[in-house]
Amino acid sequence: MARKVSSIMARGTLVVALAGGALGIGRGALAAQVPTGLAEIRTHCAECHREVSPGHFDRISEERKTPEGWAMTIFRMRQVHGVQLTPQAEAAIIQYLSDVQGLAPAEVRAGRYALERRPNVPDLKLPDNLNVMCGRCHSVARIVLQRRTPAEWLKLINFHVGEWPYLEYQDGSRDIAWWRIASKQLPAKLGRLFPLRSAAWRAWQHRPHASLAGQWIVHGETPGHGAYYGTALIRRTAADRYGAHYQLRYADGARFDGASDAIVYTGFQWRGTGTLGGQSVHEVYFASADGARIRGRWFLIKHAEIGGNWAAARATGRAEVMAVIPSALRAGTTQRVVVVGRALVGRVNLGPGTQTTVAAHKPYGLILKVSVAAQATPGYRTVRIGGVSTHDLLAVYQHVDRLQVQPAFAIARLGGGTLAAVDAQFQAIGYTEVAGANGKTTAVRLGAMPVTWSVVPFDAAAAQRGDARFAGTLGQDGLFVPSGGGPDPRREFSDNNTGDLFVVATHKSGRGSVVGKARLVVTVQRWINPPIY
Amino acid sequence: MSAKLLVPAIFAGLLAGCSAFGTHPAGHDFIVTAAKPGQLFVVDPRKMKVVSDFAIPGAHDSVSTIVTSPDGTIAYVLVNRARSIAGINLRTGKQVFRANLSAPGERVQCMAFDVTPDGKTLIVYEYRTHLGIDSYTVETPQFALFSTAAGAYAMPERTFPAPRRIQAVLARKDGRSFYALWPDVYEFDLRTGQLLGKRGLLHWGRADHSSADLSINSPASEPTGVFVAPLYSTLTGSGLPTGGVSATSLMTLNLHTGKLAYHDISRTAPPIFATILSPNHRWAFGVFDALFKIDARHWRIVKQVPVPHSFYMVDISSNGKEVYLGGNMCDIAVYDTSSLRQRGDIRLPGCGDQALVTPRIIERR
Repeated sequence: MARKVSSIMARGTLVVALAGGALGIGRGALAAQVPTGLAEIRTHCAECHREVSPGHFDRISEERKTPEGWAMTIFRMRQVHGVQLTPQAEAAIIQYLSDVQGLAPAEVRAGRYALERRPNVPDLKLPDNLNVMCGRCHSVARIVLQRRTPAEWLKLINFHVGEWPYLEYQDGSRDIAWWRIASKQLPAKLGRLFPLRSAAWRAWQHRPHASLAGQWIVHGETPGHGAYYGTALIRRTAADRYGAHYQLRYADGARFDGASDAIVYTGFQWRGTGTLGGQSVHEVYFASADGARIRGRWFLIKHAEIGGNWAAARATGRAEVMAVIPSALRAGTTQRVVVVGRALVGRVNLGPGTQTTVAAHKPYGLILKVSVAAQATPGYRTVRIGGVSTHDLLAVYQHVDRLQVQPAFAIARLGGGTLAAVDAQFQAIGYTEVAGANGKTTAVRLGAMPVTWSVVPFDAAAAQRGDARFAGTLGQDGLFVPSGGGPDPRREFSDNNTGDLFVVATHKSGRGSVVGKARLVVTVQRWINPPIY
Repeated sequence: MSAKLLVPAIFAGLLAGCSAFGTHPAGHDFIVTAAKPGQLFVVDPRKMKVVSDFAIPGAHDSVSTIVTSPDGTIAYVLVNRARSIAGINLRTGKQVFRANLSAPGERVQCMAFDVTPDGKTLIVYEYRTHLGIDSYTVETPQFALFSTAAGAYAMPERTFPAPRRIQAVLARKDGRSFYALWPDVYEFDLRTGQLLGKRGLLHWGRADHSSADLSINSPASEPTGVFVAPLYSTLTGSGLPTGGVSATSLMTLNLHTGKLAYHDISRTAPPIFATILSPNHRWAFGVFDALFKIDARHWRIVKQVPVPHSFYMVDISSNGKEVYLGGNMCDIAVYDTSSLRQRGDIRLPGCGDQALVTPRIIERR
């Protein structure tokens, strides 16, 4: 019986379907057979999308996309055109199209931030007028994660106007000859920038997919919680399908274990669903071409804005220091330090002003006890372990001189109705100023600092509206949770609980307080919330 | 026309450049509005109550522009994601006209429409898309003219090509032509479809002003027959900061005479969604988060008051004493035009969202 992890596209999150080995479209092993995904396309799609030659369908074969992109296409076919697919058929089609009409790693790179659902990332800039023509409604990632022929781009533009004619009337289009530009100029332009045929795809398409099975060393950071580290065991369960178990801890020792089931699309795009630290998560990771590293972001299924960076490397291989946790040590303290890395043997030296003893050897690296002299010179330290060294993973400091609240500009969205609120997670990155040899000071990054959090109105208008009171609450972990949506009779005009705020972080040390701030706009719900918005 | 009304009428007529600007039958005003999922209401502002509540067939949770017949007996309502126009008898609630604009293989959406002064013809501006087996093809927009007597299966009597991005269709009061707005002010012959004239609107050619921005939300021009809409631009020139300042203007298009005029009312950009001119042409009123009273002789904002919530549309009583705020949420707010004090608030049964519905005023004896 098919083992279904999930097969829905809800709340803007692609949730992949695992349907057991029978539905696999293993490369090579089933070469003589018709791939399941291709068979499903013939069954469900070819009635409208003519198969003009074996495996080549009108429209479908003129595009290349990410798995999320293909899932969105299927979603639209279901919503608009009434296509009925079983979860298994849908999964097989997504897998097949992602493999035969996917994107090469180089083609995904620029738009990865959207697939990873990274919040508050400034959008990309496209040449000419494309940001106005396309980016006015979409993230630019949505465009750069597609490849089409010029004729197919033109069909997409026709579809847009046919489906949403009001787009020609909106601010940003009604003042230009939108249709003439869109139909006469854009297809060729987009076809040049994002062509169906590319050398990168040709090369990648014929490259064998590396197996990702094995033992891995993992490290990452969850904004609001800090750095974590540990190991992963990844097993291959079927062609391009994996099961993973994670043994992780935060720097304070709290366990952050988990497990997931994943499909790897196009040979490098890991899409997993599982748990981390007891919470349900999706994983959007990307494997390196040689299968030696996996990087990406995991996020909560119900709150994609909450998640963490993820970096994994094979547990065996050349000696390497991957991370030092914590990444900054205050002078005059003795601390437990985790050096995450591989094959770390030999003498440990964390540089001037430090005394180090190795407390334990672990599968993910070393646990050290490090004392920093009270008069230690602030600055980056070179970490030397045996024959390997790194130069920018550890710093020593006397004082925090500056705080930078990240993100510097954030958007949170009210919750309400069927939509969860979109929270905003802040962290305060500390810096210490170090005098350089040339007399100039250099900012040394210390990492996330313990701070107290508060909000204040952004300006007089926000103060007058009472935004700080109505828009939501900021916890002492830096997590802003917006209020409910809809008209609020307590506010002037029964206004929504929107707000324009400064988020203020205050770090106290022996030399007084250091303050950093960021702008937070709390706005209305995003009702249309696809995997790639 | 009573003597009381005659003096301001003449004065206003001179202001508007027309010899006469309509009469005010001795009836009472009623407000016609609609709300999701597909309700049509007749509201008596004297009694502050809803007197009729009709279901619009096949609205599919989508109602927007309302155009009322000149005799006030029928409301033509854009429904069904702008793909149908339903004509509803305002006494009986019966659907007496229905134009389903699309056909197999072709999706047609109405982006603007109006009725001719004789009430016999609907002028419908249509966006059209050919629906192929696996692709769409955008077609040239067109004006489609429907007989209002066509009944439940109305088909256009004639069509002719139209520019893109038309925001409003406004029938000229002489019944011979109609105006189509944006990005220019076009005038078309009603009978032949011939383009009679074109005046710049986006590129209005005003010294020191940038090109204009206009988003027409309400086509209402009653009771004056003068269409008024807010325009936004950037004003540059000596004494102004580098980059200029925001400027708000009103455009007036007299549907009796065709006179087009621009009036600068503010060197800021207060958000105004819709505007209406008072019967005596002395004042204009605009609305969004506030209700604005604008001196239509000296063209400046003389007063503004906050409103309980955002309203998208404004209309005015035939005697000019009250404005009615609608669109968005489920109430009609009644304001005194002299003091801008709120006189009342009329809740619509079911509390469906009026969204971009354009309330209209009819008179009943």
